[in-house]
Amino acid sequence: MKVIVGISDMKVSNNAKEMLITYSLGSCIGVVIWDPAVKVGGLLHYMLPDSRLDKERAQKKPFMFADTGIPALFKECYSLGAAKSRLIVKVVGGSQILDPTGLFSIGKRNYQILRMLFDRNHINIAAEDIGGSVNRTVSLEIGTGRVHLKVSGRGEFEL
Amino acid sequence: MNRVEEILALIRHVPPFPKVAERVMQVLKDPDVTAHQLAEVIQYDQAITANVLKICNAAYFGIPRKVNSLDEGLVVIGHDILKDIIIASSSARFYQGQVGAGYGLEQGDMWRHSVATGIMAKLLVKHIKDVDPGSAFTAALLHDIGKRFLSSFVADDFAQIVDKVGRENCSFVEAEQEILGIDHAALGGMILEKWEFDQPLIDAVREHHDAAALERAPLSALVALSNSLVISIGIGVGDDGLASELRGDGLKRFGITMDMLQICMADLLTELDRAQELLNI
Repeated sequence: MKVIVGISDMKVSNNAKEMLITYSLGSCIGVVIWDPAVKVGGLLHYMLPDSRLDKERAQKKPFMFADTGIPALFKECYSLGAAKSRLIVKVVGGSQILDPTGLFSIGKRNYQILRMLFDRNHINIAAEDIGGSVNRTVSLEIGTGRVHLKVSGRGEFEL
Repeated sequence: MNRVEEILALIRHVPPFPKVAERVMQVLKDPDVTAHQLAEVIQYDQAITANVLKICNAAYFGIPRKVNSLDEGLVVIGHDILKDIIIASSSARFYQGQVGAGYGLEQGDMWRHSVATGIMAKLLVKHIKDVDPGSAFTAALLHDIGKRFLSSFVADDFAQIVDKVGRENCSFVEAEQEILGIDHAALGGMILEKWEFDQPLIDAVREHHDAAALERAPLSALVALSNSLVISIGIGVGDDGLASELRGDGLKRFGITMDMLQICMADLLTELDRAQELLNI
């Protein structure tokens, strides 16, 4: 069964029959985590790097921002029995439009803040597909932990 | 007939933009026009009449009571919103069906992208002076109309176009231009010209992938910026992905910061939730 994760949205699951999927990641980032021991996984699709932009909105929509969405994703998976030491973490998205002046850089900032949060919390990235000017769709099979990625111009493959 | 001639010949067969839209815009130029006079013009287009009623009752426009007749609806919604509704329901017919398949778009994607860009343009209008919100919405809603007609040609030469984008890291429109001889923005401008839209709208559609669009006329800058943000968020984006160029240094001219743009991106998601009736036209 397909469970769709929207923009600024997150889903976690321990149902082996479910597949979490998010469509059309541009400058947004998709974070996929999965614990093989308990077969618990989650997918977050955040749009913006820093909740200080609008704290009130971040309270209502924590999955919109990296710094509020990422901790929420891990906590939700822990509550289903996942353990930090076992989690396999994959990250995709963070593209940009072509801008020689480098000002349209939300994708890059979205990735930088994730790296900062992961470094601080000693979380390793098992696989990633980041940047460029492409559009990505990513899915996670809860039963197997398989992560499928579809990238505009590059087709579909397993990450 | 060469490829470009073949594509241009298509424009001759592009159906006209609904006459009723043009007549409503004309009638609305008189500030003293009555709701009844407007209803007289609109009632002959059944699809638009139905949409006016449906949208009058939609949460997006926040009208507190139920509207049952066209006359009543026109009194309640005001001229600016009426213009948006007429334009939206006149445009929707061009985006129905498998219109963007050549770009890898699913059914409904192109309309969703267009409505999102229209709403984004209305959100950004407060930061870009000298643009009226109605023109912003219209131009943004129609910016990709050229894709509707170029889609099958893109499908024919898809591998070549994608290969060029990947190899040279160029924009998708540059590849369209080089391989097909014309791109969807230029074609869109021609279609708006044929439909006899005002020149600033024609220019805005034609220039929406111009890397220097932020230095062009305010409406062109607004539409290009709206499109770039909606593409970045990933709403209704196909195989062209984010391979679209816009020089960000042009934002200075308008005093727009990245924080302002991020707020607009966040607001867009809220507005889109409220605009379901527009999306389902």
